[in-house]
Amino acid sequence: MKKLDPTVKKETAYAALWVLALSLLMEAVFLLLRRWSPAVLGGNAVGAAVAIGNYLLIGITVARAVGSPADRVAMRVRASMTGRLLGSAAICALAVGLLHTNVYATVIPLLFPRIGIAFRPMIDRKRGRTAEDPEGSDLLD
Amino acid sequence: MVELAMGIMLGLCGVGAGIALIAGIGPGIGEGQAVAAACEAIGRQPEAKSDVTSTMIMGCAIAETTGLYGLIIGILLIFVAPGIFSGVLKETVLALK
Repeated sequence: MKKLDPTVKKETAYAALWVLALSLLMEAVFLLLRRWSPAVLGGNAVGAAVAIGNYLLIGITVARAVGSPADRVAMRVRASMTGRLLGSAAICALAVGLLHTNVYATVIPLLFPRIGIAFRPMIDRKRGRTAEDPEGSDLLD
Repeated sequence: MVELAMGIMLGLCGVGAGIALIAGIGPGIGEGQAVAAACEAIGRQPEAKSDVTSTMIMGCAIAETTGLYGLIIGILLIFVAPGIFSGVLKETVLALK
């Protein structure tokens, strides 16, 4: 098995941190609304795993695409995107349909990495990172 | 009559979920073009590989959010909407009786 690119590892760890933090927040919201149940926890676990796995696969696809011919890259990324989307849909549908996890707790974590990315410029600015020195997330350094 | 309405409603929920998943096509094409352009950029400036890869991963994740919105709408249409709509339908029928 090929070793993971350090940039991919760093980015996935950053996304995983955000997914974890926002998952805890979501559980707290369910508790406050008195809607918490094991189904919520199960749904959150499945959704978080799918979100992190999806992000990791994006990173692997992009890292592998580097150095390949441009026309082949475009096709490979398109195929990867379709596969990941259908895989995510299948896993979420199976979790909700067979394991009876909470629907909302299953699908909401899919958007957590996006929220993490939205906050990224703010965090980088706080840590003194600029557009001229964007070395990726150094939260885990 | 109620059974027919229920069947039409369930069918339309399935069709709606299918249409929602079409949202996954656009981001795929966009991502492909963006990554291809990034590969050309790395070819011109190999020393910027780490920066370009990092930016590309984030860019792909952002582009993919559109597809995920469609996926979420599709899942909600399949698992949540039928329950809500059938409840509304039953209440309407009971109110009419």
